[in-house]
Amino acid sequence: MREIDCLGALCPTPIIQLGKAIKDIAAGEVIILKADDPATESDLHAWARMTGNNVISLAEHTYKIIKN
Amino acid sequence: MRVLLAAFEKGWAHPDGLGEASSQARHLLNSAREEIAAALEVTPGEVEFWGEPALISPMAILGAPNFSHGNFVAGATERQDILAMGARAHSMSIIPVSHEGLIDRDLFLEAIESNSTVALQAANGETGVRQDLADLSALTGSLNAQLHLDYSAAGPLVKLPAYWSTADFPAKSWDGPSGLGIMLIHRDHRWVNPLTSAIARRSPGSYSLPLVLAAAASLTGWIDDSKKESERIRTLVALMRTVIKQTIADVDIAGSGAVNQSLPHILSISFLNVSGEELVSRLAREGFAVASGSACIASAIEPSHVLKAMGVLTHGNIRISLLHGVQESEVKRLLALLPGIIEKLRSESGL
Repeated sequence: MREIDCLGALCPTPIIQLGKAIKDIAAGEVIILKADDPATESDLHAWARMTGNNVISLAEHTYKIIKN
Repeated sequence: MRVLLAAFEKGWAHPDGLGEASSQARHLLNSAREEIAAALEVTPGEVEFWGEPALISPMAILGAPNFSHGNFVAGATERQDILAMGARAHSMSIIPVSHEGLIDRDLFLEAIESNSTVALQAANGETGVRQDLADLSALTGSLNAQLHLDYSAAGPLVKLPAYWSTADFPAKSWDGPSGLGIMLIHRDHRWVNPLTSAIARRSPGSYSLPLVLAAAASLTGWIDDSKKESERIRTLVALMRTVIKQTIADVDIAGSGAVNQSLPHILSISFLNVSGEELVSRLAREGFAVASGSACIASAIEPSHVLKAMGVLTHGNIRISLLHGVQESEVKRLLALLPGIIEKLRSESGL
């Protein structure tokens, strides 16, 4: 399970880092993203809809992404 | 500009004063009021001029009977200053919108009581999404709640519904002069000025008469122009929606674009993995002035609450507004340039 720390990074960096990381994993694998930019949560859900992947909020500023 | 200069020449005197110049000013003011009332399909007595257009919606809402002890109901994509009025009400219901930006009708109906004040936008200024005013206003009226309508984005492009209490029409909404707005107060509505020092007045009276005259003079011409231009501009926006989806991957377009659900001239698009600020800057270098709803632009701290409420991607966002007279060649030039700009920005970020 890969972890990406984007705490303190501004949009769109967290989504871009996620986009790079998800290319390197197989379907069913998980990435944990930490990000506190105000756009992150909303944009993660939009990203999931647009890319066909799954996002779950685990805690404040912590998200679990499962590749489809 | 010619209209404005003529208005300053004719309307300099105070309409409440004595003497011939004031009498002429009074006559001009009354004529302007009648002209604006006719264009907006209301009575002259329902038209109040405000020299501070930004205050019209907050004051209209605050002055609604029962506002402070009733439930304030507004959609999640209303203007921030309107949503902020909820802090002054007894309670507030923010009604969620669909991905297309339309208010949830069932939740809307559930939230309204007879002593509620409801605020609805005829259309959203960021996305161009139009609400079903005929239906929502009828629901509000059936419960005898007060209804304030925000026409700051729609202007005279959208007709008033049968039921309304107050409405906000800034002159800018028809490309009229800044610094002037119209508060419409329905003849059956018991609006009370929330400023207790001015309780008997329906407007502060501090508007500029020349700006009123210029606004009236520009309104009828703008409406006539819109009748010819709206369809042409809507076709150009539809072209942009189609071509952008065909030529660029991973885009999120706000609103359905359906004729009865959208203003003809606004398009809001978000590009995945692109900085909104960089995109605005690259387009400016090519001569295109666009706005952005992203948090990743210098002037923003938070992303657009409108895009968030719709679940639309907020980063990489641009908002394109086509003005009357826009050339098809310019639209096609933008469409030709955009794919290359987006590809370059994405590749610069390593994707």
